[in-house]
Amino acid sequence: MDPQLREVTQLFERFKAAFLRSDFDTCTNLLSQLKVLLTKFPSLPPSFQRTPNAVEELTVARDIYEHAVVLSVKTEDQDAFERDFFQLKPYYTDTCGIIPPSPQEYPILGLNLLRLLVQNRIAEFHTELELLPSSALENPCIKHAVELEQSFMEGAYNRVLSARQTVPHETYVYFMDLLAKTVRDEIAGCSEKAYDYLTINDAKKMLMFSSEQELFQYITEEHPDWETKNGCVFFQKAKESQPSKEIPSLQLINQTLSYARELERIV
Amino acid sequence: MAVVSSASGLLAMLHEPHPELKLHALANLNSHVHLFWPEISTSVPTIESLYEDEEFNQRQLAALVVSKVFYYLGELNDSLSYALGAGPLFDVSEDSDYAHTLLAKALDEYASLKLNPSKSADEEAKVDPRLEAIVERMLDKCILDGKYQQAMGMAVECRRLDKLEEAITRSDNLHGALSYCINLSHQFVNHREYRCEVLRLLVKIYQRLPSPDYLSICQCLMFLNDPEAVANILEKLLSGTKDDALLAFQIAFDLVENENQAFLLNVRNRLPTLRPQSPSQGNPSPESTLPSSQNGTVGADSSVAAEDVHMNVDSQTPNGNARVVDPNEVAYADRLAKIKGILSGEMSIQLTLQFLYSHNRSDLLILKTIKQSVEMRNSVCHSATICANAIMHAGTTVDTFLRENLEWLSRATNWAKFSATAGLGVIHRGHLQQGRSLMAPYLPQNGAVGGGSPYSEGGALYALGLIHANHGEGIKQFLRESLRNTSAEVIQHGACLGLGLAALGTADEEIYDDIKNVLYTDSAVAGEAAGISMGLLMVGTASEKASEMLAYAHETQHEKIIRGLSLGIALTVYGREEEADTLIEQMTRDQDPILRYGGMYALALAYRGTANNKAIHQLLHFAVSDVSDDVRRTAVLALGFVLYSEPEQTPRIVSLLSESYNPHVRYGAALAVGISCAGTGLSEAISLLEPLTSDVVDFVRQGALIAMAMVMIQTNESCDSRVGTFRRQLEKIILDKHEDTMSKMGAILASGILDAGGRNVTIKLLSRTKHDKITAVVGLAVFSQFWYWYPLLYFISLAFSPTAFIGLNYDLKVPKFEFLSHAKPSLFEYPRAITPPTSTSAARLPTAVLSTTAKAKARAKKDAEQKASLEKASGGEGSSGSASGKGIKSPEKDADAMQVDSAPEKKAEPEPSFEILTNPARVVPAQEKYIKFLEGSRYVPVKPAPSGFILLKDLQPAEAEELALTDAPSAVATNPNNSGSTTATAQQGSGSSAMAVDEEPQPPQPFEYTS
Repeated sequence: MDPQLREVTQLFERFKAAFLRSDFDTCTNLLSQLKVLLTKFPSLPPSFQRTPNAVEELTVARDIYEHAVVLSVKTEDQDAFERDFFQLKPYYTDTCGIIPPSPQEYPILGLNLLRLLVQNRIAEFHTELELLPSSALENPCIKHAVELEQSFMEGAYNRVLSARQTVPHETYVYFMDLLAKTVRDEIAGCSEKAYDYLTINDAKKMLMFSSEQELFQYITEEHPDWETKNGCVFFQKAKESQPSKEIPSLQLINQTLSYARELERIV
Repeated sequence: MAVVSSASGLLAMLHEPHPELKLHALANLNSHVHLFWPEISTSVPTIESLYEDEEFNQRQLAALVVSKVFYYLGELNDSLSYALGAGPLFDVSEDSDYAHTLLAKALDEYASLKLNPSKSADEEAKVDPRLEAIVERMLDKCILDGKYQQAMGMAVECRRLDKLEEAITRSDNLHGALSYCINLSHQFVNHREYRCEVLRLLVKIYQRLPSPDYLSICQCLMFLNDPEAVANILEKLLSGTKDDALLAFQIAFDLVENENQAFLLNVRNRLPTLRPQSPSQGNPSPESTLPSSQNGTVGADSSVAAEDVHMNVDSQTPNGNARVVDPNEVAYADRLAKIKGILSGEMSIQLTLQFLYSHNRSDLLILKTIKQSVEMRNSVCHSATICANAIMHAGTTVDTFLRENLEWLSRATNWAKFSATAGLGVIHRGHLQQGRSLMAPYLPQNGAVGGGSPYSEGGALYALGLIHANHGEGIKQFLRESLRNTSAEVIQHGACLGLGLAALGTADEEIYDDIKNVLYTDSAVAGEAAGISMGLLMVGTASEKASEMLAYAHETQHEKIIRGLSLGIALTVYGREEEADTLIEQMTRDQDPILRYGGMYALALAYRGTANNKAIHQLLHFAVSDVSDDVRRTAVLALGFVLYSEPEQTPRIVSLLSESYNPHVRYGAALAVGISCAGTGLSEAISLLEPLTSDVVDFVRQGALIAMAMVMIQTNESCDSRVGTFRRQLEKIILDKHEDTMSKMGAILASGILDAGGRNVTIKLLSRTKHDKITAVVGLAVFSQFWYWYPLLYFISLAFSPTAFIGLNYDLKVPKFEFLSHAKPSLFEYPRAITPPTSTSAARLPTAVLSTTAKAKARAKKDAEQKASLEKASGGEGSSGSASGKGIKSPEKDADAMQVDSAPEKKAEPEPSFEILTNPARVVPAQEKYIKFLEGSRYVPVKPAPSGFILLKDLQPAEAEELALTDAPSAVATNPNNSGSTTATAQQGSGSSAMAVDEEPQPPQPFEYTS
C-alpha cells in the first residue's frame, strides 16, 4: 500500500476513534491534517488523475469528508458544514463509475437541503433539488426535506414544527431546532406587514414564545424598530415609498433640441 | 475519465483556515479558471482579500487567478492591474489567449502612458514600474526568440529607444532591421519630434556599422534636416574609390527626388568649394579640364571633359607617374563638380526632359477632336483645351499643337491669354537653359511699354516660374526685377506666382519683402497671388510670417486677398504636424469662412500624408458641421492630402460623404479620392468615382472627371477595363452639344491629365523612399484652388513625376543597358492612339526623311511615335495596313526606333510573358514589381530600385561604352526656339503665320490608308 495512503488511513482511524468518543477538538485537529494530506493525492478532484490507488484514495477521501460534514453538524458550525459539503459534493457528482455510491450520500444531501431551508435560501434549495435524479426523491431523507419545504411555503408552520419528531437521522435534529427560528422570523416578517400592532399576548402566541421575557429579548435582538407600549407591540410601517421622481424636464428639453440640431447637420 | 463539474469544492476550500489548503485551492483554480470562471467570479472578493492579505505568502497566485477571472469577464483594465500584481507569475511567453490579450493590453497601456507626454516630471514617474517590467520582459523575450521586427515595432510604439537600439543591434539582419525601422518610423510614428528621435538613433546605429548604408543614412539625415552630416558623407565618398563615388551620385539623385530645395542648397553650400588647382603643380591638362567643370554646367561638353579626366584616373598606373598633378585630386574635383550638378537638380531635370521629349507619346488626335467639338465662343472650354494641351505635353517641350493652331489660339484674350502663355511654361517645364529665351517674346521689356498686353507678360512670368519650379536659382533675380519694375497688377500677379514657384521653400527674406510690398498695395488681383506666393516662399518653415499674414487677412476688404493669404498661411505650416496646431486652431475658429477654409488647407498640409487620426477626425467634423459650403468642401478635399500615404483608406473614409446631399461635399469627396489615390488606379477609388461622374450637379461631375483622370493616369485598358469606358465617356461629354460647360471643362482637363506629359508621367506625392514630395503636394494644393481661379490649374504640373528608369554610368551618361520586365507587355504599354475617324487624318503619317542634322533628329522621335501608333492601328486593322506602313520605312530607321522604344512590335503572335526594356525606359508604377535586372549584363545597378535615376556600375570599364540619348539635348535646344517665336506671333494676334509654316515639318509622303 502507498505510504501516503497508509498514513491517511491511520490518521483517519484515529479520527474515527476520537469521533466516537465525541472528542470534537481532537477531531477538528486531525481533520485539518487529513485535508492537507489529501491535497497530495492527484487522483482527487479536480484533477482526477488515474493513479493505481485512485479507487482507494477516492473512497477514503469521500469518507473523510462525509465525516467532516457530520462533525460540523455536531459542532454546530454551519460555515464548516457548507465548506465541507462543497468539497464532498464532487465525490458524489463526478465519481460515478469509479467508486460505488456511498450509503451516506442521501442523508448528507438531505442535511444540506435542510440547511438551505434553515438559512432560508430557497432558490439554492431548488437548484440542489433539480440536480437530483427523480428516484432520489423517494429516499426518506430527501423526501423529508422536500415535505418540510412544501409546508414551509404553504405557511403550515405547525406541520414544520411537528416534523421534528419524525426526523430520519439523528443529525437532523440540530437543523430542525434551527428551523424553528427560521419559522419565527417568517412569522415576524408577515405580522409586520399584516398588522399595525399586536397585543403582547397575541404576539407571544403568534411567535411561539413561552414567556414575555423571551419575546422582549427577541424584539431587542432581531427587530429593534418594533415598539412595545401600552401592552401592545407596534410594528413600524415600512418607510413610505419614495414619491415618484420629478421629471427631469430641462434635461429632456435640452436633449431633444440637440437631437434636432444633429438631425439638421446630418450629411 | 471523470471531469470535475463544479469549482464549488475548490472555492469552499478557500475558506479553510489552513493556508496550505488555500494554496492548494488557488493552484487548482488557477489551472481550471478557463472552465469555471463563471463560478469563480462570484468568489472574486474572497480571492481578492487573499491577495490583499499581507500574511498570505502566495498573494501573487491569488492576483493571477483574479486577473484571469477578470479577463474572462472582459474587464481588461482590472485584469491588467491584477496581472501586474501577479508579478513574475504572469508568464509573457505563455501561449494562451489570456496572455496574448493581456500583453497587448499592457503594451497599449504602456505606450499610451509614454505617448501622452506627461505635464510634469512627477507624472513621468507614475508609469507603473511593474508595467514597465512586464513590457521589458516581453521585449527581451522577443529579442531572445529572434522576433526582432516584433521587438522593434513594440519598442517604437512604447518609445523605448534603448530597447529599439538593442533589438536592432542584436538582430541577425542588421540592414534589414534598419530599413524596416525606417519604414516603421514613417508609417506608424505620428509624432514628428519622436520620429526625429527614432531617426537620429537609426543614424547613430548606421554610423557604427562597418559598412554603413549611406543611402539610407542620408535619407534619414534629410528628414532630420542635417545638411552638414550629409555633406560630410558625400565628401567622404567622393574622395573614396570609384564605386564610392557612384554611391555618392546615387545618394545625390535620391536626395533630389525628394524635392527639398532649401535642404539641397544647404548641402551644396557645405560641400567644399573647388580649390583652384595649385599653380605650383602647373600642369596644363587639368587646368584645361577644370574650368569647364567648375562652371557647374553639366552640359555635354563638361562631361566629355570629365570623362577624359576619369579615364586618366582609371589608367593611373601607367600614366599617373608621368603626371605631376595628383590624379586623385583631379578626380575629386571632377566628382565634386558632378555632384554639385546633381544636387542642383539640373542633372535630373535635364535627363527627365530628354526622356520625356524622346518618349513623348501624346495623341494629338485627342486634342484635335476636343478642339473641333468645343464651341469657339465658349472661352472656358477654349482655355481648358489649351490647358489640356499643356498638361498633355508637360515637360516634353513639344508644342506642335499650338503651332498648328495659331489662329485658334489667338482667340484667347485677357486672362485666357495669361493662362495660355503660362501653359507654355508647363510644356517647357524644366527647360532651364533655354527657358528665358523661350519666353523672351512675351516678357516685359525693360522700360518699353510696347511689347504685348500685360496679360501675356504676366503669364510669361508665371510660365518662367513653372519652368524653374523649385529650381529657381538662375531666374529669381530676373523675376524680382520684373516684379519691382511694374505696377500693372496683372504682371504683378504673374510675377508673384512665378517668384513663389521659383523660390519655393527657400524662405528668402528679400524676396519676401518684395512680395509683401505688392500685398500692401491692397490690389485684389495682385494681392491674391502675393498671398499664395508668400506661402510658397515659406513652405514648411512655420515662420513668424504667418501671423503677419493672418493680421493682414483680417485687415483687408478683398476676399481674393484673404483667400490667397489663407492658402499662403496654410502653406507655411506644411509638414509641421503638431507644431501647427495653434495656428490651425486660430484659423478654424475664425469668423471669416475664408480663413476657416484656409484652416482646412493648413490641416491638410501640416498633416500631409500622415493619416493622423486627430486630423482626420477634425476634418470630418468640419465636413459635416461647418456652415459654409466652401469650408465643408475643402475639409473633405483636405482628407485626400492627409491620407495620401494610405490611398486604400480614402475611398472607405469618404464613401459616405460622397453620397451626401450637399454637392460641395460630394465634390470634395471626389477630389479627395483623386488626390490621395492619384496614379494608383485603385479599383475602389474608381468604383467610388464612377457614379459621381454622372452626378446631377455639373461641378460635381467636373470634379469627379478630373479626379478619375488623376486616379487612372498611366493605367491602360488591359489593367482595368474601366479606363476604356472612361475614355469613351470623356469623348462623349466633350462631343455632346448640350452638356454643361462645367462638366465639359472637367472632361477636357481630364483627358489632358489622363495623357499627361506625353503619357510618361504620373502624379506622385511620395518619393520612392516614402518621403513626401514637397513640390508635388504643394502643386496639388494650389491646383485645387482652380475652383476660384483657373490659371492655378497649371500648378498640377508640379505634381507630375516621370515614370522612368534612367540608368547612368560614372560619367552621368545614359549607357545602353537592358533589363527585364517580367510581365505581359500589353499590361503596361501605352494606350493605343485613337483611330482617325476619317481618312484625311492619314496626313499625319510619318515622313521617311532621315538625316543626321539635328533638326531631323528632332523629328525622328516623332516619326518613331507615329510609327508606333501606326503599328498599333494596323494591328487592329489587318495586315495590309501594316504592310504598307512598313513599306515606307527604311530599315535603318527601323533600328533607330527600336532603340528609342522597345514597345512590342508584333501583335499577331502570342504575347510573350516578359519584355526587355532598354535604358532609359518607361516603367509605370504598377510595373515596378516586375522589373528584374539581367544577370551577366555589363552594368550592375548601385541600388536595386526599379525606377528613377539609378547609377550603374560598369563591370567592363575597359570597353567603349555605347550611349543612348546622346544628342537629344541639342535637338531640344533648337526645336523650342522655333516654336517660341511662332507662338509669339500667334499671341500677339498677328495673322501672318507664314513664318510658322516655314518651320513646319515637311509634308508627308503620299500614303494611302486602307482600312
